[in-house]
Amino acid sequence: MFETLALNAPSWSDLRHFVPETVLVVTFLLALMADLFARGRRPAGPFALALGGCLVALAAAVSSLPAGPRSILGDLVVVDGLAGFFRVLFPLIGAITILFSWASGEIMGPRREHKGEFYALVALMAFGMCVMASAADLIMLYLSVELVSLTSYVMAGYMRTSLRSTEASLKYVIFGSVSSGVMLYGLSLLFGLTGETTFVEIRAALLAGRADNFALLVAMVFVLAGLGYKIAAVPFHFWCPDVYEGAPTPVTALFSVGPKAAGFALMIRFFYTTLLSPGGGQAAAGAAAPDGVIVGPADWPLLIAILSVVTMTYGNLVALRQTNVKRLLAYSSIAHVGYLLMGFLMLTAAGLEAILFYLLVYAIMNLGAFLFVIALNNRLGGEEISDYAGLSTRAPWVALMMMVFLLSLTGLPPTAGFIGKMYLFAEVINRHWFWLAVVGALNSVVSLFYYMKIAKAMYFTPGERAPLRLEPLHTAVLILLAAPTLALGVYWTPFKNFVDRAVAGFAGLGG
Amino acid sequence: MTIGLTHYLVLATAVFLTGLSGVLVRRNSLIVLMSIELMLCAGNIVFAAFSRWLGDASGHVFVLMSFAVAAAEAAIGLAILVEIHRLRRSVNLDDLKTLTE
Amino acid sequence: MGEHVLSWMTFAPLVGMVVIAFLPRERPTLTKVVAAAAAAVPLLLAFQVFATFDRSTAEMQFVERGSWIAPFNIEYFMGIDGLSVTMVLLTALLSFLCIIASWRIDKAVKGYFALFLLLETGMMGVFCALDFFLFYVFWEVMLLPMYFLIGIWGGPRKEYAAIKFFLYTLAGSVLMLLAMLAFYFNVRNPDTGAHTFNMLHMMDQANHSPWLQLSHVRHLIWIALFIGFAIKVPIFPFHTWLPDAHVEAPTAVSVILAGVLLKMGTYGILRISYPMLPDAALWFAYPLAILGMINIIYGALCAMAQSDMKKLVAYSSISHMGYVLLGMSAFTTQGINGAVMQMFNHGTITAMLFLCVGVIYDRAHHRDIDGFGGLGLQMPVYTSVFSLALFAALGLPGLSGFISEALVFLGAFPTYRTITIISALGIVLGAAYVLWMLQRVFLGEKNPKYDSLPDISARELATLVPIAAVVVWVGVQPSPVLDLMRVTLNNLIATVGR
Repeated sequence: MFETLALNAPSWSDLRHFVPETVLVVTFLLALMADLFARGRRPAGPFALALGGCLVALAAAVSSLPAGPRSILGDLVVVDGLAGFFRVLFPLIGAITILFSWASGEIMGPRREHKGEFYALVALMAFGMCVMASAADLIMLYLSVELVSLTSYVMAGYMRTSLRSTEASLKYVIFGSVSSGVMLYGLSLLFGLTGETTFVEIRAALLAGRADNFALLVAMVFVLAGLGYKIAAVPFHFWCPDVYEGAPTPVTALFSVGPKAAGFALMIRFFYTTLLSPGGGQAAAGAAAPDGVIVGPADWPLLIAILSVVTMTYGNLVALRQTNVKRLLAYSSIAHVGYLLMGFLMLTAAGLEAILFYLLVYAIMNLGAFLFVIALNNRLGGEEISDYAGLSTRAPWVALMMMVFLLSLTGLPPTAGFIGKMYLFAEVINRHWFWLAVVGALNSVVSLFYYMKIAKAMYFTPGERAPLRLEPLHTAVLILLAAPTLALGVYWTPFKNFVDRAVAGFAGLGG
Repeated sequence: MTIGLTHYLVLATAVFLTGLSGVLVRRNSLIVLMSIELMLCAGNIVFAAFSRWLGDASGHVFVLMSFAVAAAEAAIGLAILVEIHRLRRSVNLDDLKTLTE
Repeated sequence: MGEHVLSWMTFAPLVGMVVIAFLPRERPTLTKVVAAAAAAVPLLLAFQVFATFDRSTAEMQFVERGSWIAPFNIEYFMGIDGLSVTMVLLTALLSFLCIIASWRIDKAVKGYFALFLLLETGMMGVFCALDFFLFYVFWEVMLLPMYFLIGIWGGPRKEYAAIKFFLYTLAGSVLMLLAMLAFYFNVRNPDTGAHTFNMLHMMDQANHSPWLQLSHVRHLIWIALFIGFAIKVPIFPFHTWLPDAHVEAPTAVSVILAGVLLKMGTYGILRISYPMLPDAALWFAYPLAILGMINIIYGALCAMAQSDMKKLVAYSSISHMGYVLLGMSAFTTQGINGAVMQMFNHGTITAMLFLCVGVIYDRAHHRDIDGFGGLGLQMPVYTSVFSLALFAALGLPGLSGFISEALVFLGAFPTYRTITIISALGIVLGAAYVLWMLQRVFLGEKNPKYDSLPDISARELATLVPIAAVVVWVGVQPSPVLDLMRVTLNNLIATVGR
């Protein structure tokens, strides 16, 4: 009754192109086993294994940057420039998270046994995110999203005995499952409309005009809802502040950059591949590849523009009245999603370059800001803005590094955040979406106000004077993150080239 | 009357909406988790129906995968619920107010 | 050093800042000495620039150029012409003197001087940069030190004033950023065909894309740029941050704020808006003249109503910047020369005024005009210096303020008769608030509370005398300064003007 399945049969040799992911899975399993034998106050075995695994995956990813697209594992996964970019980013984020959880009281404190699970979960999540970035089929899309989600639920509730942590976890499960249900429904409609499950085939079906326009729009909006939840775009953001505040801070740090970037990776892959007919347009200035023509539902750019404006404005306005730094950063991360969506508007190569550059920069500066919160929570036992009073005298260098992160998040030169934002604005201006650019720019001004609330507490408000010494590991990682935040604001050509190469090798743009 | 694709789609929509309204209306988190399972189920019905209609097995594969995911989701959800009940002696969503502005 | 004069002037303070960051906290004097040394480098080089600057050409001089970010066509491109050279000299002079004037800062000494040097780097860079991106980076780099200098070392409402300053100026500069990007994508480098941030290429209308030649586009971009610059000047109605910032800021910061930062607004208009969008500049000339007139009259009226000396000087700044606007909106050679001259003169005169207010504030710990009286007998040296500054501010012939104001009026009169006549009222009002303050503070009944006030100290005098010398010298013999700028500005008017 069925046609013969015309799949490229998966083979073991495909794994040659799947090394970082394989390393991460093996790392997860080994760390989980090592945790069974871990003794003592801190689970050194799982920690070392997970950190080592992430670093090996990172090295493997860097050394095997894919040249062109290659479809593997029965066309479920495509390894191309975009995947290559993200499989560098995710193990890096994982390694940094693992590093600073080691000295975090929230992760190491409450549980008595199986503390090492945390490190195993980070490796698993990194794996899931890498797969999200290279999924080329609806099935893989769904499975990878769920893999990351399920891991996230467990991590959010990691402090099992904490009211806040478990509450965050349950809220996450409910919001997450609902949106995954909506997305699944959208995927099923999409399958029904086109009769295909791989992204490329779906595009072919859309180009052939096989799908009814309205039903297609519904399906696409449902899928967008599922992915919008992953990146916490308004109106799919409700879980975000609660989960960010309730989850242990290292987990929050990971959430604020990892799944978000993975969500963007998948959105890019999915929408660029299905909605874009590559090579149909003219090459934009300085772009690596010619722009495509958007097929499918009409007014796509306007839809994204509105989503972007609503997201950044809401995030910024609500962040204004927060006093808890974790919550403040949660709303600010919503605002940053709004900025990122500006690059998504026209589905262009230049826009993609801007998004990738910003994701990279955002990962560095946001991890830095969260690490500051973790490091101080370990010492002060709180994360209210008022807890930071007088910090400039107590720990001047730490305050200075936080200042760098805050400026970068605001987008002031000479920091990496400015460069990232500038590329996003440049793309919007180049496409003559001026109202969007003005709204985005004014949003940056609004964000200055709440970021400077933290600066004000650190520098202007007098507080205790006794010097404050952080965990040496925390200080070291802070320096590791602050240095590129500043350096990339002055010289970023190598990073830009790295990003451009990824975009040039992106299958969705014909790379 | 033969049962055709349309019937399955109508059924799926009804199940989806039932699930969604359950999530929005009910305050007991157990019921909410069950409603979520209904939503996932709706997607599965559509997949299976289209798979049969198009004569393409991919939809069936999808259904099997999504069963596994739904099971995992339920397992984690229930595990967290157990913890919450242990801490609070309640699984009512309205009691979860530690994290509000 | 010979090859890289401008880089040295710009980055020597930055080097000083880094050095200061690593000095021990217990050695405040060492910090101050390092800061003074770092600020002395640009000052000494400023003498060299003044001596060797070629006054007969409108070309860029002391040019330094190198690739910076190749994928985005950003260059490290520095150079000065007659327009920027006066500002560079002013910055070098005031920054050094302000560091001397800050000698008695005792709170977080390291931080203060480090930020001050960073501020100097930013200011110097803005005046030297010829790449729009570079210009923008320097422009923004100044905001942060200013925010902290006001917010940490300021007066009672410092936090409010600091964030207000920061938000206002950032709001302006993000619009400038968008305008800059719009330029980037619509200007091509004639040699390579690539997009460019090079200001000189942007000034050449032949490099503009057809889209950029649409007049409504040009007007919109002009407005975006104008808002950015107007907030800095500040032009009514964007001026409300200024009195707050001035009142709360410590003395030296007020000096820099009024003496250099305000000039950046008008400098930006002359360096960027005028040559890049000359037709839009002409189109907006009349509104600009009206805004200048409003600034003059409104600033002067507000100044009259103040009882706080610093606030009075702040509003007088708004009034005096109005002359600059009036002069440059006239599009005559006299007008524009007067405008730039006024930028320079206002920088020196206001610096003196703020320093003088600082002197009395350090002694009496308040600045209430009505709280003094008869200080002329108590502090004769101080009184004479302050009076000199005040007379220069009201435009007494023989002092520098007179020259530039006269040029502005001479230049503006043929273009805008009514506006010029109304603006001339500003002179009368200026005389009124200056003389009224002079009378209330220095003449009349002596307040017995201040019987033991010591006269101005040698260090304070050392900061004031060099500026006073410049004020008198330019007032008697304006040609050395005018010669610096004349060729460039006449060339600007010839290309922009009607």
